[in-house]
Amino acid sequence: MKLDRRRFLGSSVSVAATVGIAAEWAWPKHSVSYRRPRSAVAVLNADEYSEKIEALLLDGLRLFRLNVLGKTVLLKPNLVEDLPGPVNTSATLVGAAARSFLRLGASRVVIGEGPGHQRDTELVVQSAGLKPHLSERQIEFVDLNRDELRKVKLKANYSGLGELWLPRSVLDADFVVSMPKVKTHHWAGVTLSLKNMFGIVPGMKYGWPKNLLHWSGIHESILDICATVPIHFVIADGITAMEGNGPLQGSARQLGKIVLADDPVAADATCARLMGFDPLRVRHISEGCHFLGNLREDRIRVLAEGVGAPTRPFSVLPEFRYLFAAKS
Amino acid sequence: MGRSAEVSVIEKTLRQRQLPSGGWSYFSSKQASVEATCLAGLALGSDSRGDPVSTLRFLKKSQLSDGAWPAFQGDSEGAWTTALALCALTVLNEISDASNRALRWLLEARGIEGHWFWRWKFKTSDRNVQFDPDKYGWPWISGSASWVIPTAFSVIAIKQFTVCNRSEASENRIHLGVEMLLDRGCVDGGWNSGNSVVYGVPLRAHLEATAIALLALQDERRSELIQRSLVWLKKEADSVDSVSSLAWCILSLFVYQESVEALKNRLATLLGDGRDIRNNATLATALLALKCGEMIHPFVVLR
Repeated sequence: MKLDRRRFLGSSVSVAATVGIAAEWAWPKHSVSYRRPRSAVAVLNADEYSEKIEALLLDGLRLFRLNVLGKTVLLKPNLVEDLPGPVNTSATLVGAAARSFLRLGASRVVIGEGPGHQRDTELVVQSAGLKPHLSERQIEFVDLNRDELRKVKLKANYSGLGELWLPRSVLDADFVVSMPKVKTHHWAGVTLSLKNMFGIVPGMKYGWPKNLLHWSGIHESILDICATVPIHFVIADGITAMEGNGPLQGSARQLGKIVLADDPVAADATCARLMGFDPLRVRHISEGCHFLGNLREDRIRVLAEGVGAPTRPFSVLPEFRYLFAAKS
Repeated sequence: MGRSAEVSVIEKTLRQRQLPSGGWSYFSSKQASVEATCLAGLALGSDSRGDPVSTLRFLKKSQLSDGAWPAFQGDSEGAWTTALALCALTVLNEISDASNRALRWLLEARGIEGHWFWRWKFKTSDRNVQFDPDKYGWPWISGSASWVIPTAFSVIAIKQFTVCNRSEASENRIHLGVEMLLDRGCVDGGWNSGNSVVYGVPLRAHLEATAIALLALQDERRSELIQRSLVWLKKEADSVDSVSSLAWCILSLFVYQESVEALKNRLATLLGDGRDIRNNATLATALLALKCGEMIHPFVVLR
């Protein structure tokens, strides 16, 4: 049989695909799966950061029937820099979440963050307005950049890092809550609950910023970290979000939403839809739906309100225009 | 309570937090941090009741076989803390083979822009961040790019240790590190953690990075960038309420012969007896700042 160029190319593609599937089967990229048949999401309307948020949040959390009785809950907000604008997760929301989990029976709430750029964590905590919320008993702040570390083998292998040193406070927590600020991101497209977990990687080992994660691939590192430290719950601050050149220099965008979810992929997919993006076009979300949680809308049970189509998608840098969802 | 009484209470607190290994952790764990240990060792070293011997013993014991120091006890990878450890050994007068090995490691270490391939990549395809990749310094850990704070500490350490006997290799490396710092200055003065412009938008300076970069440049020609950064630092120092940033401002402004008395008074008020400052690296830096002018400045570079 004469092998012409088209046949040769076709055969090569088939062989490559077969080898790829065989390699994935022989050496899977992840050794865990947190996907459940269905996940739950609640989208709460909140126009401003006020005292009313606490009651709203507590009611929202009760919809999920969470079992945090006697547990140590770690809240992981997104506190990056001492900058004005919607850069950090609102301290009002973080404080409300801490008190809500105590009311739901948690024995202790730890707010933990390792800011990625600013080495002076106290400065970030001060400027974020978090200090008044830390005066309450049973609520403490841990600087994850300088916590005691343990070396951990990663439960996924996208980045090739193999292992990471991670903070004891994170590894010892019974219930991990990722509390991102809904923002665009000039390297990753978006920064939501999965990307927010970069903040658990300690600066004292990996520096400020955690540059090794960038060199190992941002999406790949996110997948490896979230496979290793599962996120049990998400409270996303989308009241005042950020669009454009996020995560630090973008513009404020009033979204008026708090997204709650018992699954980080479902949370991020919902947030991405609220931003006017197709979550399948964000690599760490589309890959994460194979083992970290659910992305498809038919696998997400909406407990409160729905995801209305945004009147106008979030603006992005030109490189990220591919994120926009196709108009239906 | 007078300043000297406050200082001695803080010294006592810091001494009480020393681990049996001779090191200090950042917070209350048993895992000693090389940064916290170096700063605490420097802060207590000149104190008559201090025990530099146990600090030095810890540092010598934790040095890796290649001459570097890890970031913390239990890690086996060399880190930026090597520069800080070399400063501590030099200032505490512990000139030994450990210092020479640290210097050799520092002279070899470089950010990934030190490799031609990455320089070429930054010049041709990665233009969202604006900097000159030919001017490279030191990374936090190997395998990453050059950043301001590790570069500044490395420049200080090499300048201090080689002040009486500087080889061409040391001179070249200092020059390149200084060039890197001058290249990365922010538009309005000061330094961010690395680049000064990303996606065409100028980044805002950080207090700590600016103070430490200025310490590294204290003996260089007073360029327009240095002058602008000094003005920025003085202005910001007047309003900052964070102990760590304020302490670094004092340490930096002092070597530029700026008045720091009012800043020291504010720092003393923020500190109280120091017991509320749980981070030992911060407490030690604050102690160094309060003792500025009363002891050898640990980051002074002699001309």
